[in-house]
Amino acid sequence: MQGVHWLGRWLLLLGVLSGAAMGSQARTLSVVGPWEIVGIEPARSGYIFSRMQVAETLTTVDDQGRLAPQLATSWRVSADGLEWRFRLREGVLFHDGSALTADGVARSLQHARAGHGVLSQVAVTAVEPAGDEVVLRLEHPFVALPAYLAHYSTQVLAPTAYDDQGRVKALIGTGPYRLTSLTPPLQLTLERNERWWGDRPAIASVRYLAVGKSETRALMAASGEADLVYSLLPTSLGVLRHNPAVRTETVTVPRTRLLKLNVASPFFSDLRVRRALSLALDRRGMAGVMLRNERLAASQLFPPTLSGWHDVDLAALRYDPGEARRLLAEAGWLPGDDGILHKDGVRFAVSLTTFSSWPELPVLASAIQAQWREVGIDLQVAVGNSSEIVSRHRDGSLQLGLLSRNFSLVPDPLGTLLQDFGPEGGDWGAMGWSDAALQQMLDGLSAGTDKAERIAQQQGVAGILQQQLPVIPLAWSELRVAVSNDLDGLRVDPFELSYHLSALRWAE
Amino acid sequence: MMSRLVTARLLQALVAALLIATLCFAMMQTLPGDAAMRIAASRYGPDAMSQQLAEAVRLELGLERPLLTQYAASLMQLARLDLGYSLVSGAPVIEELKVQLGHSLWLALLALALSLLFGPTLGLLAGIRPGGWVDRLSLGLSILLRALPPFVLGLLLIMVFSLWLGWLPPAGFGSWRHLLLPALTLALGLAALSSRVTRDAMAEVAAAPYFAYGRQKGLDGLALAGRHGARNAAIPVVAYLGLQSVYLIEGVVVVESLFAFPGIGHALVHAIIARDVPMVQGTVLIMGLLFIFINLLVDTLCRRLDPRLNAWQEVRR
Amino acid sequence: MNALTRTPLRATCARQPNAVFSARYWGGGLLLALALFALLGAWLIEADPNRQNLMASLAPPGGDYLLGADHYGRDLLARLAHGARLSFGLAVLTLLSAAVPGTLLGILAAWRGGITERLLVTLADAVMALPGLLLVLLLIAFSPGHYVPLVLGLSLSLWVEFFRVSRARTATLLIQPHLEAARLLGFGIGYRLRRMVLPEVAAQLPTLCSFALATAVIGISTLSAISVGLRPPTPELGSMIVELLPYYAEAPWLVLLPSLLIVLLVLALQLIGGRINT
Repeated sequence: MQGVHWLGRWLLLLGVLSGAAMGSQARTLSVVGPWEIVGIEPARSGYIFSRMQVAETLTTVDDQGRLAPQLATSWRVSADGLEWRFRLREGVLFHDGSALTADGVARSLQHARAGHGVLSQVAVTAVEPAGDEVVLRLEHPFVALPAYLAHYSTQVLAPTAYDDQGRVKALIGTGPYRLTSLTPPLQLTLERNERWWGDRPAIASVRYLAVGKSETRALMAASGEADLVYSLLPTSLGVLRHNPAVRTETVTVPRTRLLKLNVASPFFSDLRVRRALSLALDRRGMAGVMLRNERLAASQLFPPTLSGWHDVDLAALRYDPGEARRLLAEAGWLPGDDGILHKDGVRFAVSLTTFSSWPELPVLASAIQAQWREVGIDLQVAVGNSSEIVSRHRDGSLQLGLLSRNFSLVPDPLGTLLQDFGPEGGDWGAMGWSDAALQQMLDGLSAGTDKAERIAQQQGVAGILQQQLPVIPLAWSELRVAVSNDLDGLRVDPFELSYHLSALRWAE
Repeated sequence: MMSRLVTARLLQALVAALLIATLCFAMMQTLPGDAAMRIAASRYGPDAMSQQLAEAVRLELGLERPLLTQYAASLMQLARLDLGYSLVSGAPVIEELKVQLGHSLWLALLALALSLLFGPTLGLLAGIRPGGWVDRLSLGLSILLRALPPFVLGLLLIMVFSLWLGWLPPAGFGSWRHLLLPALTLALGLAALSSRVTRDAMAEVAAAPYFAYGRQKGLDGLALAGRHGARNAAIPVVAYLGLQSVYLIEGVVVVESLFAFPGIGHALVHAIIARDVPMVQGTVLIMGLLFIFINLLVDTLCRRLDPRLNAWQEVRR
Repeated sequence: MNALTRTPLRATCARQPNAVFSARYWGGGLLLALALFALLGAWLIEADPNRQNLMASLAPPGGDYLLGADHYGRDLLARLAHGARLSFGLAVLTLLSAAVPGTLLGILAAWRGGITERLLVTLADAVMALPGLLLVLLLIAFSPGHYVPLVLGLSLSLWVEFFRVSRARTATLLIQPHLEAARLLGFGIGYRLRRMVLPEVAAQLPTLCSFALATAVIGISTLSAISVGLRPPTPELGSMIVELLPYYAEAPWLVLLPSLLIVLLVLALQLIGGRINT
């Protein structure tokens, strides 16, 4: 008992002392997010360094999702669509004091091309410096190329950042903040780059901490330990609701939670079954209860933020378990004695693979399990590692996968769609399903057409996917951010390319 | 006798190192799931993960080589006292371990110190008068603390100390203030057990004739407890210490993830999930060696506390 | 403190048997109640523990749901009853498979000494030196979602505690004068072990057991916290706590009720086995 008293007094004393010590220094901006820092190689955790504005890319996006200049001020493509020229910003210095040159940029892009990032998926034949421009030559026309150069894996780093074998040995970028310490996997600290090409940032020092649990992140915001907290779960907002020192902001992001079906399997090859499965899902209920926002219930694959792709005229996905049962019966699936559907002696018992990198996925899986049970489907849920969906897609053993798909991997959704709905399907997209018309539209979109035709093709893609259901959309996504009232100037980027720290300032 | 003990432990360490390396390698190979896939998923995240990436990783790391070649390569590396590079982050394993083990050791030491402050003290007080109110209270408290999952306990502590009192930061690391809450969470769980162990031992001492005799001589209960009780009760407590230290270093994954603390438990779980063999080997090796060292310390301490154990060992030989 | 120490010794002794009796009585009653709840509750409560009703998400206690409903609108009482049956069952299974071999091997090691002891101690050390988590994760990886590897993995790391304590206890007992005397008087080793060592070792077990039981339940919940362990929607107390933890601010009872069941179980065992007198 004495020990407890003693500890209490000791804590109080030290708390007072350290509180006094903190007030005397310039305040460090404390940013908290769930993402761990795996390493400095841009293809690995580059998104953290892009968001924290340490390293920059040639292009970026504005708040409406339109492509915008960053290290490249303008770009143009040759008439045949095979040669892209990016004009570089003048007077840009790396954190080591060296100047940004076309040579250096070409080297960074070569690195990205040879590595594991998105640029390796584009048929680039050469990357060359040409005066104050960088030239990228392609095998065939590809209009989405500038969007690929906004991806974190194409970060431009100083020539001294690479070692002899071409590996990244230090993170020397051009951004408004410079890396001062890195404690993988959880923490990094930054200080202001006084020689940044843009407006001088108001905040001098920043710290990023990776905190895996959403509850902890919310408590850090509530206690004032963190000034800016990203990716809060809706359930964690409770402790913040009545807190006068913190406000929350929510933006919708181009991400959809969806069910991936093995269309080649005898269970899902029948379109009527796929439509029945979709009709048996109470999306509004799930979105309202699990995601705390009924409007996130997906009426189609593309969320409204993806303008041009989201088609307001498309007939929305509905919830109608009666119709689902009818369609299943029509497809030959009839209830057996145990209440589970049977067809030709086969029980409708399937297994769903999901993973917990996104904490809402296992939660949604349990709801799907119960809702499908109502129409007579016995669903087993296996929560594992995210790689299992990819590996079981490859060996064909996957039946159903529940995943969260980002349509702005590169800011243009075309990048994701080309990966997911190619002729052989995609690791995170269709499985055992392809469609010639869809393929033609995607090819047309890659090669580039005029705007009206483009929109028609994009909505054609949305229509085919809605009609054929190779993947069943469940819910769209939101990004929830808690921000201290001491901060002004917050801009939440729905594409999550940047946290725009350089625009933040301490409130008076 | 002492030097023989040390040599024996050193030999044990060497054999353990070889065994651990082999065992880890074998385990990671037998686990279901494709290693290249898992490494790629941990490196690039699920959004960017793809089959091509996994194949690139397989080639880069030579995972397609015959198992025996891979095993020999890993043993050769170990023989040069080189723990290799993490397959996920690409950083030297030894560098990662330095950071994580460093943080874990501080956390473990503080937790142990706090648990020794609470546990045995409460246990001694409870054991002097078994069945008394201190005993009952400490029983209730220890049951409550032990039966609550550590993450619930941690969450409660955060709410009390960070949200209501505003004394301590809820999560993070880098200063002693960040260390206190996770250490307290662990310490309370440990103290729950050690207070009961001390209490049982003390109750036995309190029931012993020499204790009653001392009391009848008019010695103060607390003084008596200090003189006879503490020393006798110390043996089981010290014996537990060895077990607890290990629990502290590895059994704290959940506490680490709740408090965003970069400890070795967190590192190990992630390494196992990612099939990061060098990282698993390194972590398990360092923890195994640490265990042997702690064991040596505990053995020596127990001998100091109870010379009869020595005599007994001598007779055995 | 002073008033306590000045109490005459005799008075303390006189009160104890009564205290022991009443503690045992209460503990037994509590355990019986818990056992009944776990065994019969699942049958008596008609509600299906896995049936969801999203309209009733986080419904407070009272009304249609006696103890409220969880985030899926599943009946909490039904889930608690089913969860208690599974959790207590798993915990007891884990405990038995850890305590029995652990204790017996501990006595064997201390009694036989020599190569037997050395081997057993090395085995225990090896298990201890290997992170318990590694063992459990490894076993589970082979058949995810099943409870056999869960129980095996947990008892594989728990038995060492029993082994070490019983070995240490036996070791100190064997050099006690009265055991020496018994040996010199010609009492056989079997008699000495059974009559003089085992009861003393067994006296140490209740505390260990009740805490090991808690460790087992908590261990399962810890594994659910890192997404390995039992498959949803299986109701199990530990994984229920993990699953419901995000709702701690809105519906604290959802976290507290399953925790309370674990606390009560440990309390009951402590009360029954608590040695108030030696």
